[in-house]
Amino acid sequence: MTELVKGLSGEEALPTGEPVNISRRKLLLASAGATAGALVIGFGLPLGAARAQGPGAMAPGTRVPAFLEIRPDNMVRFLSPFVEGGQGIFTAMAQIVGEELDADPASFIVENAPAGDDYGVMEGGGRYTGGSQSVRSSYDTMRRLGALARQMLLQAASASLGVPIGQLTTKPGAVVHTASGRTMAYGSLAAKALDLPVPDPASVKLKDPSEFRWIGKPVERIDVYEKSVGKAIFAIDCSVDGMLHAAVQHAPRLGLTVGTIRNEAQLLAMKGVHSVHVLPGAVAVVAERWWNAKRAAEAAQVDWKEPGPDSKVRYMPADFSTAEFAEKLATAPGDGVDAEKEGDIAGAFESAGKVVSATYYSQYVRHAQLEPPSALARFNQDGSLDVWLPNQAPEMFRADISARTGLEPEKINIHSPLLGGFFGRHFLYEFANPYPQAIELAKEVGRPIKLIWSREEEFLRDPVRPMAIVRFRGALDADGMPVALEAVSACEGPTEALWGHQDGKVDESAVEGLTGKSYAFPNKRIAQLYVQNPAMIGYWRSVGNSMNDFLYETFLDELADEGGQDPYELRLHLLKENARLTTLLKSVVELSGGWKRGPFTAVDGTKRARGIAMASPFGSHTAAIAEVSIEHGEVKVHDLWQSIDPGKIVNPAIIEAQINSAVALGLSEVLLEDAAYEKGMPLARNYDMYPILPPHRMPRVHVRIVESGEKMGGIGEPGLPAVPPAVANAVSQLTGRRIRAMPLSQFKFSS
Amino acid sequence: MRKLLFILLPVIAIAGAGVAWFVTRMPASPFDDAAPDETPSAEVLAHGEYVARLADCVACHSTPESAPFAGGLEMATPLGSIYATNITPDPETGIGGYSLADFDRAVRKGVGRDGHRFYPAMPYPSYAKLTDDDVRALYAYFMHGVEPARAENRKSDIPWPLNLRWPIAFWSAAFSQSGVYEEKAGQDELWNRGAYIVQGPGHCGSCHTPRGLAIQEKALDEGSNLYLSGAVLDGWFAPSLRGDHNIGLGRWSEEEIFEFLKTGRNEHAVVFGSMADAFNNSTQFMTDEDLKAIAHYLKSLPGNPEKDGAPWAYDPSSNEALAFGKLGETPGAQTYVAKCGFCHGADGRGQGRWIPSLAGSASSLAPDSVSSINVTLNGSARIVADGVPDSYRMPPFRNQLSDQEIADVLSFIRTGWGNSGGAVSADDVKKLRDRTDPARSEVIVLQMR
Amino acid sequence: MKLQINNKAYDVEADGDTPLLWVIRDELGMTGTKYGCGLAQCGACSVLVDGMVMRSCVTPVESVAGRSITTIEAIEEDEVGKRVVEAWVKHQVPQCGYCQSGQVIAATALLKQTAHPTDEDVMAAMANLCRCGTYNAISAAVRDLAEEEGAQ
Repeated sequence: MTELVKGLSGEEALPTGEPVNISRRKLLLASAGATAGALVIGFGLPLGAARAQGPGAMAPGTRVPAFLEIRPDNMVRFLSPFVEGGQGIFTAMAQIVGEELDADPASFIVENAPAGDDYGVMEGGGRYTGGSQSVRSSYDTMRRLGALARQMLLQAASASLGVPIGQLTTKPGAVVHTASGRTMAYGSLAAKALDLPVPDPASVKLKDPSEFRWIGKPVERIDVYEKSVGKAIFAIDCSVDGMLHAAVQHAPRLGLTVGTIRNEAQLLAMKGVHSVHVLPGAVAVVAERWWNAKRAAEAAQVDWKEPGPDSKVRYMPADFSTAEFAEKLATAPGDGVDAEKEGDIAGAFESAGKVVSATYYSQYVRHAQLEPPSALARFNQDGSLDVWLPNQAPEMFRADISARTGLEPEKINIHSPLLGGFFGRHFLYEFANPYPQAIELAKEVGRPIKLIWSREEEFLRDPVRPMAIVRFRGALDADGMPVALEAVSACEGPTEALWGHQDGKVDESAVEGLTGKSYAFPNKRIAQLYVQNPAMIGYWRSVGNSMNDFLYETFLDELADEGGQDPYELRLHLLKENARLTTLLKSVVELSGGWKRGPFTAVDGTKRARGIAMASPFGSHTAAIAEVSIEHGEVKVHDLWQSIDPGKIVNPAIIEAQINSAVALGLSEVLLEDAAYEKGMPLARNYDMYPILPPHRMPRVHVRIVESGEKMGGIGEPGLPAVPPAVANAVSQLTGRRIRAMPLSQFKFSS
Repeated sequence: MRKLLFILLPVIAIAGAGVAWFVTRMPASPFDDAAPDETPSAEVLAHGEYVARLADCVACHSTPESAPFAGGLEMATPLGSIYATNITPDPETGIGGYSLADFDRAVRKGVGRDGHRFYPAMPYPSYAKLTDDDVRALYAYFMHGVEPARAENRKSDIPWPLNLRWPIAFWSAAFSQSGVYEEKAGQDELWNRGAYIVQGPGHCGSCHTPRGLAIQEKALDEGSNLYLSGAVLDGWFAPSLRGDHNIGLGRWSEEEIFEFLKTGRNEHAVVFGSMADAFNNSTQFMTDEDLKAIAHYLKSLPGNPEKDGAPWAYDPSSNEALAFGKLGETPGAQTYVAKCGFCHGADGRGQGRWIPSLAGSASSLAPDSVSSINVTLNGSARIVADGVPDSYRMPPFRNQLSDQEIADVLSFIRTGWGNSGGAVSADDVKKLRDRTDPARSEVIVLQMR
Repeated sequence: MKLQINNKAYDVEADGDTPLLWVIRDELGMTGTKYGCGLAQCGACSVLVDGMVMRSCVTPVESVAGRSITTIEAIEEDEVGKRVVEAWVKHQVPQCGYCQSGQVIAATALLKQTAHPTDEDVMAAMANLCRCGTYNAISAAVRDLAEEEGAQ
């Protein structure tokens, strides 16, 4: 099966760990990955006292040299514990660390940190990039890191200048001795400073927010130039000397294995083909160039085998269809496990003036990030392994690779290039990542392997956002005011899909957005009815909230209409004890020029309506209003207003960009997306049959940030959940047809 | 997988009981008294397999999920779906119990072993021309070269009484050939071999010859100028294979026809629609000699300039509508630039042999717009030449473009660059959208063993 | 086969039907041009050929032999391209950045052909997909460039 080529492997020098001199910032992102023949790995850690303090002896986020290098030209190289994938975390980190270090964020060069305990900076330990956690979970730690570095620079300057440290202060990029007027640039002090022991973290004082120079300001992103001229390096761009390229053909359904390859001899004879390999659930072709590998992988004629009775792999049966599965969820027996319960549900429904019952549907959706997954694996002569791969959690991936290969974690170097979008795609999902294949192939071939999944192979293995079918019941009193709400969601959450379902337990990631709502229902019950999916389930931007706020907020409008209430007024009423959300809700109404539900005729003569919705995802709160019309039978969204209260903020410009981004994804979900299956196969294997929001369907987006000063919330995901229900509520109002399912493209509207 | 065959069964007349003997009788076969050959030679088996390739049995009698020749392909008719049968040698569910004579009656007469008449989805009017040698070899192949597979035949969804089979006997009597292909005097060997394949096993006329009211092919050989003059079937326009300049092979050389059938593409066109199946499973497996013979024969069929209209010539003035600043003036121009031009070229002329020209293509010149609409809505199946899938595939646009947008862009294409196919209406698009499915994007190679 | 890319001549060995994209990325090692779909759906692979935008994932390399190809690596050598990049920075367009090479190329092609694009022009030319939803920033940058050009 495998044809090994001897004598070509592992001959190149391994510059692992050597300090790298990169003087020009423009080259920086290019170095984050690797370019042929000039590989840059990790970080040139100075061998100073801080490093000698030994692993484990220091709290994560305090070993300054593990994070920071200050160059003679005063550029600050910073290793970010959180992965940049468009959300702007590199810039936010530069602002936060730079604020306390007293270094302009514009002087920062940021790269993703390797795996290592030092980077476990999140509250509660460890780190991953997800859950809109990065800034809020590490804010104080990263500020303190900057302050510690500044303190070390002050100490070094004190020694150099021979003055007491108390006489020194800093200005951006330099230590200042005011009395003598002398200044020392950070770059001239860094070598000495970073050799000093790191001071006791409790010994440094953080700035008062009133002194902030960069935090809270619309600081420019530090990576836009490189990303505008093609110099940013993603995993798919990485290369090393002597590598071969690989492509795969996956089993058409999860769980199947390779029986026979009928035309292996033909594949081996194709141009550039090096070898053909059988992997779990896939056939791989290794070739000199990826295009040759891809063509041969596609050409493989494989007889696939059904799994045996003892197979542990999630199995996609040949007769699975999403349409039938939705009905199965809608009619699944049982009333679920309580996630939230208040008051007397049974009593409230018995004494209700009117009971409203309805079933609401959400769909599978794909991540569809623009960068197809890839991985580059290289076994080194010293027994170590380098892997370049898109990932949101380096230590978790390292642990998995360690388990797969038997290598000690210290022998595994995880490189995390920029992510070409992620939205939850790059976690450890079984059979959903190329790195196990790339590692196996590198082992079999004896040369470094770069494996890229074609878009078609990606859409076959991308874990989908689960569908939830929710059975709602609402009780109205004699005045039409809601007094009870029950929601039973038939759903499998991504967390239980990854880590295992526990009977009798609710998966928060399945029900969030049904739970955590602030509306004052005296009686309510939210429950999850677990039904396992044959498709692999994943986290998708805003996770449970991405569907549940749609389901909840559209049913809330249905309740309002059934009770003869205005949906905005009803929300105000249900929030009357909640000053923070009342302020937020009023702010979006004000932003939109006053509540105007419609239908009304716009100046261009089109008939339009507006819908409103709220969400409280990831520690932040949002309210959105959408204005829609029907054009050529499809929904057109003209304007989208959104207010967000994340408590405290770091960069309003990035927040506005993230709201735009979340609006685009939310609209894409509610208008277009549906990862439907028939006969066990996804109907769409590329963007042709799975359209994502195109430019001409992007509305004007108006953002208002309400900084309440409460505990800091997330930014990357919260902007999405209120968007789909705002649009659907507007469409229901405009067309008189109650929308209870996404996407809207399944309905025909008349203009 | 669903295949649309627009078969107009209701026009088949209902006959009286007096002719019952006629409709149930078993036609004679030259093999009625033949002794079975239990151990056919490897040569005979190879010959039989080749005839199966010529006749493209696998395209209808297999599905990607089925065992080879185990049947199951759905063919939609206006009366309900019918399903291709199991023709493996399984004794109970397949044709294992068929004698050579039974097999012959099925292939050349359209009569099952129990006497029931086949729907003419099975092209037995063409297969009737098969030589005895070819039938014998084909039988040997199916009995000894194909693995038996147990797969029950699926009953058609056509309701009673329209599902009665005996009236088809009248249809057969009226429209089917009675004898094998006879070499035509005055034509050389190459021509005759080409004619035999085209008319007989290749059953080219099934798609390319217009059909009459009783859905019979209007001609079965070159004796009529309607033969292979282009027709609509299965939601596709099968172009003329005659010398027509616009919708036929008038602009193609014999060498180019050969190249098309051998590789799936040439400078003029790339196979798509139903022809992708015919290429993937049949024509590419034919010998060079046979393909040359087909090309030679087809080039002998004259065109019909009167019907074909003024000869197409490229008109570059249409490109002006695609210039920035003008895009708003011509409906469809903007969609062309955003969705079509990257592959088919800013000038509509495609990219060499890899991505076909829309300027001057038969489907852009054909008055019937069905192929233009179908391929835009549904894309095209993957072309697998010599085991290697195509580098470029036509994607389906049904999930991206509205009926009106497709109508506009196709109207632009079919009236631009000298094309004379004419405009398309949103209603035409809607009708086809409702009754067709998108092509599958994965590579499908139907196996014969 | 000879290719002219960014004013430099290359001799490439790929088959004639190989997409230009993979010749640029793998054979020539220029990774600024991105692979997104391989089907002309997303536009991440856009390059300029004789000043016109082409999606290199559906461009058989033999069809551009001898023509002048510009990739994102050389975009700033083009006067219009340089202004587009400046506008992208000014409007802080990129998020993950993966589609932006193609977006910048598409905008450059548009503005090279027409200094005053109409709405239809922009809609047809700026049809590349962006999963991060930078569309409003892109249109602000393009509008800015069009107005700036118009003012001259």
